[in-house]
Amino acid sequence: MNAFVTGAATTKFGELWGISPRTLAREAFDGALEDSGVSRGRIEALFVGNMLSGLLGGQEHLGALFAEELGLNGVPAFHIEGACASGGLAVHEAVSSIRSGQYKTVAVLGVEKMTDYKPEVVSTALMGAGSDEERAAGATFPGLYAILARSYMRKYGVTGKQLASVSVKNHFHASLNPNAQFRNILTIEAVMKSPLVADPLKLLECSPVSDGAAALIITGIGSGNPVEIIASEVATDSLGLAQRGSLTELKATQIASRKACEKAGLEPADIDVAEVHDCFSIAEILALEDAGFFAKGEAGNAILKGKLTLGVSKHLVVNTSGGLKGAGHPVGATGVKQIAEVVGQLRGFAGNRQVKNARVGLTQNVGGSGATAVIHILKKI
Amino acid sequence: MTSPVTSSPIKIWRNQKNIASLLGKKGKIISWTFVRIPPAGFENQAPYPVALVKLESGKTIMVQVVDFAERNLKFGRKVETILRRTMQADISDVIPYGIKVRPL
Repeated sequence: MNAFVTGAATTKFGELWGISPRTLAREAFDGALEDSGVSRGRIEALFVGNMLSGLLGGQEHLGALFAEELGLNGVPAFHIEGACASGGLAVHEAVSSIRSGQYKTVAVLGVEKMTDYKPEVVSTALMGAGSDEERAAGATFPGLYAILARSYMRKYGVTGKQLASVSVKNHFHASLNPNAQFRNILTIEAVMKSPLVADPLKLLECSPVSDGAAALIITGIGSGNPVEIIASEVATDSLGLAQRGSLTELKATQIASRKACEKAGLEPADIDVAEVHDCFSIAEILALEDAGFFAKGEAGNAILKGKLTLGVSKHLVVNTSGGLKGAGHPVGATGVKQIAEVVGQLRGFAGNRQVKNARVGLTQNVGGSGATAVIHILKKI
Repeated sequence: MTSPVTSSPIKIWRNQKNIASLLGKKGKIISWTFVRIPPAGFENQAPYPVALVKLESGKTIMVQVVDFAERNLKFGRKVETILRRTMQADISDVIPYGIKVRPL
């Protein structure tokens, strides 16, 4: 059975101190349900993507918790965790359940509440996605990506301006997204003058700590204005960077992307819109190259020249939501939000950030420093 | 909140033999960063360098660099592994030790 997205919604992302995870979940889910026109009683299962609730809030058992909260009493419900790819993995599981014939209509919820805790605590919790050795060394996620960035800069000569242009592009797109955490325009100079977080990465090259939720209704019956998920692929790599064969590419992205393109019968050149995992500036460059949009060493210059920016690009536009940098990165929600953004683009509902004639979209969601990668390809029906 | 790495004295005890097998090894820096915003338990050390080091055995490890000058942080710089306290003791009061490197 084919899998279609018939409803999608995202809450505002940001420092939402007055809003609880339950309220975020309800807002996203009710929005997706209303969008799909499906009644609550038709939802046969719930897939919840979340990384940090256990570590930060002491709350596990999120399947049952959110099934109750969303009025889906009695339905099978699952908590899916894969670090910052938890949301993408939840979508993958939902799609697999539809394709297997187990369920006809299911809901996906991605939700994360991060700003209740101080930065050191969040930083330590996020390192739950790394290896024991990385934690003992006092590494952080900005630090791990900084190590990748330094290796990449040495091999391919990417410049500070090229790295900074990732944030400039994504903040411009975020300025057009009412749900984005940051709607301010950035300049390359402002990014390059921002303080170092983990050398060579600067503050304005790092995605923020965020709260937010996103939800989808996925069904085997494509009615209304549906978008079909034509590929859903996952790949893994070593948890730690020390065990990797290369520090200038993310193998899991390469494998999942190649498989997704094969199954969809498409090439990266056929993609009109993409949401990729720009948790740090270097991560968007790695994503675009490893997903097959550019040869190694070439994505940075393309971004700096505006080739992936809305209104400038003649073909592919990347991170119209603002990406993780501009829209915010509530980690378990991100992979679901990426799908919601692409669905909005393909249905022509993206308002003033609409990419004209967008027919095929791709999402790339990463867990850890590349240990999990999830690729989805979606097509307008 | 305590780090899952060090919160159990039993786990610290079990990991001792891994630490011993990595002591006194030589290697080279293959990439590095300075962590300026540290995780919990490392606040009193920041900023500090964290490097990927390829040991002569061929194994690569991620470690903090200590006893360094800034000019020591470069590709190919030779270092050796030593035993150091890794982070502040948590509520168990067991002081966690682990592998770090210093320039040769």
